[in-house]
Amino acid sequence: MSAPTTLGPDLGAKPVKVRNRVLSPPVSGQELVLIGVIVVLWAILAFATPAFLTSGSILPLLAGVAPIAVMGIGMTVIIITGGIDVSIAGMLMVCAVITAKTMVGYEVSLPVIVLIAIGVGAALGAINGVLIAYGRVHAIIITFGTANVFQFLGLQIFGSSTVNNIPRTLSVFGAGPAGRTWGIPHGFAIMVVLAAIMWWYLRHTAGGRHFYAIGGDAHAARLAGVRVQRRTLLAYVITGAVVGLGACFTIALGTATVQQNIGSGRELAVIAAVVIGGTSIMGGRGSVLGTVLGALLVQTVSTGVTQLGWQSQLSNLFVGVFIVIAVGADLIRQRARRKV
Amino acid sequence: MTTTAPAPAAAPAQPAESVGSRIIRAILTQRIVLLIVLLLAVVATFFLMDVGGYLTGPYDSDYMAASLINLVPLVMLALAELLVIVSGRGGIDLSVGAIVSLTGMVFGLAYGEWGWSLWLSIILAIGVGGLLGAINGFLVAYLGFPALIATLATYYAYGSLAIVINNQKPISTKPIQDLYSTARTVELPLVGEYLPNIPLGIFTFMIPTAIVVWVILARTTYGRRLYAIGTHDTAAKFAAIDVKDTRMKAYVLAGIISGLVAVVTVAQFASARPDAGASGNGMALPAITIAVLGGVAITGGIGRVAGIILGGLLIVWLNAGIPLAIEGNNGPQYQLLALGVVLVFAALLNGLTNRKYGGSK
Repeated sequence: MSAPTTLGPDLGAKPVKVRNRVLSPPVSGQELVLIGVIVVLWAILAFATPAFLTSGSILPLLAGVAPIAVMGIGMTVIIITGGIDVSIAGMLMVCAVITAKTMVGYEVSLPVIVLIAIGVGAALGAINGVLIAYGRVHAIIITFGTANVFQFLGLQIFGSSTVNNIPRTLSVFGAGPAGRTWGIPHGFAIMVVLAAIMWWYLRHTAGGRHFYAIGGDAHAARLAGVRVQRRTLLAYVITGAVVGLGACFTIALGTATVQQNIGSGRELAVIAAVVIGGTSIMGGRGSVLGTVLGALLVQTVSTGVTQLGWQSQLSNLFVGVFIVIAVGADLIRQRARRKV
Repeated sequence: MTTTAPAPAAAPAQPAESVGSRIIRAILTQRIVLLIVLLLAVVATFFLMDVGGYLTGPYDSDYMAASLINLVPLVMLALAELLVIVSGRGGIDLSVGAIVSLTGMVFGLAYGEWGWSLWLSIILAIGVGGLLGAINGFLVAYLGFPALIATLATYYAYGSLAIVINNQKPISTKPIQDLYSTARTVELPLVGEYLPNIPLGIFTFMIPTAIVVWVILARTTYGRRLYAIGTHDTAAKFAAIDVKDTRMKAYVLAGIISGLVAVVTVAQFASARPDAGASGNGMALPAITIAVLGGVAITGGIGRVAGIILGGLLIVWLNAGIPLAIEGNNGPQYQLLALGVVLVFAALLNGLTNRKYGGSK
């Protein structure tokens, strides 16, 4: 604690940078660093393996980013409100198995099947949201619990076997030629559009700013007139919906078979992408752009490790190291900001 | 007894509670009482179903004792989570399962491949577990990482190393296979003939760990300091407690306990498996579930060893009964459902208790 500063006439002598903007700059320091890291990684990989910078490698990479990034969009909103959702692996499994079984059993068109997946996801997200917002229990506990319940639901619907011979209805989201227009994978394009919409919504609308207010101080937000419980519920429903979409992408990227382990470990991968993107786990700070970059970084690492011919399990080690570096850099910047 | 007559006059504003409301109050505010009631309810239900012939196998004391083998790793990891969660500031350890995998592999290499003696290998496992826990603790306590993030990162890193360290291969050489004998059940001395045989791991690993953790938390200065920093960081700092050092030690202790669990798991599987701590939902989730069920407040500063053990017993005996009650191979799925429902129920109850009675003990 410094001594109380005296307000003298010489206050204006030193030009102090005014820091009273409500909005942070559109691209934060963390995001610039991430862009730099991704560029450097791509450059290194391009030198190390000539196969990396070819369309045969980049396009599957971009298509593969889509599921994690699209789910990360919802998870970012949740983490901004100060919550967390560790149940999305279970949600993804339920959405995927219902979607797959519907496609196998009935003739359904693409929009219908996507709507079914999103609807199921939103319903599961609503269960989480109601329990967390109205039960007033910490999000991690509730979602640990519902993770188990969703897993149970998914396995019950699976009927203890795989779902085979899934028709190629969803191949427009896949990594194959049907999944691209002018060379851009559809899943990636949809993810970018959704991320842009969510970026604008969180940054430039009152409703979006409310999420930040809740994460900063839920009690103060309530006194300021934010309907905290409804907003919290909305964050989990949004996440459920994008997990449904993520399930469609995941099925499209896989083979014609959906296995019971679909989605396993995804919850931590998505949280890793969000956190690497600079969203604070304590709530109140973060952006969707960072999450997309974080997902891109994680996917680059796993693609790179495979292409360098290393054991694929090593990629998790690098993901862990990147989480530490990204969050550590953020902590250092926060401390510097507090000293200003 | 002597003041029966003036008592109502002295406290007219507080009418004597009826027995019923006192019982409800005790169940809601005393987590231990609630757990005992639930435990009795679970055991009684399965006993009655057994008598009524609804179960596919006998649910008797022998079966219950044999199922205790699953209690050992669960309760030990839940004790590790107890230490970390009590330390406060969002304390949690997602990496315990990964520590079990990695330490198990190192233990397997030392005992199974390099020919170290058993005691030396166990000490090595404790050392490796403590070191991995110290990395967590350093990140959280000294560098100020949120615990969820730090242990998420190390969960990835340790899990990855565990798989890579021996080229994805499990170690099951002769000495490791012989360790299986420590996972057998034993007859208790003196009263053994009247009681069912109990798995050895309960006595060699779980009870000593529980006693040590209890002594640390309830009978040492360090324990009081841990509760203090968990309750309020800044207040503890002003009370001249070295907050960083105290918090770091909680993570080191959690790592050491996870190292011991690695030895237990290697013995139980008769093989050091690279995915030992990651199979199914991982080991961290059930451990956190039991800790929360046992009354540990996720915000820190509240939690008891007795709650952990009762919570563990509840989960293990519930899990043991479910496959008998449910036809076919749906049993494990219903175990997931039971775990999830019990956790959500316990969490909602915690919230209710906080609002109605101002917190549970």
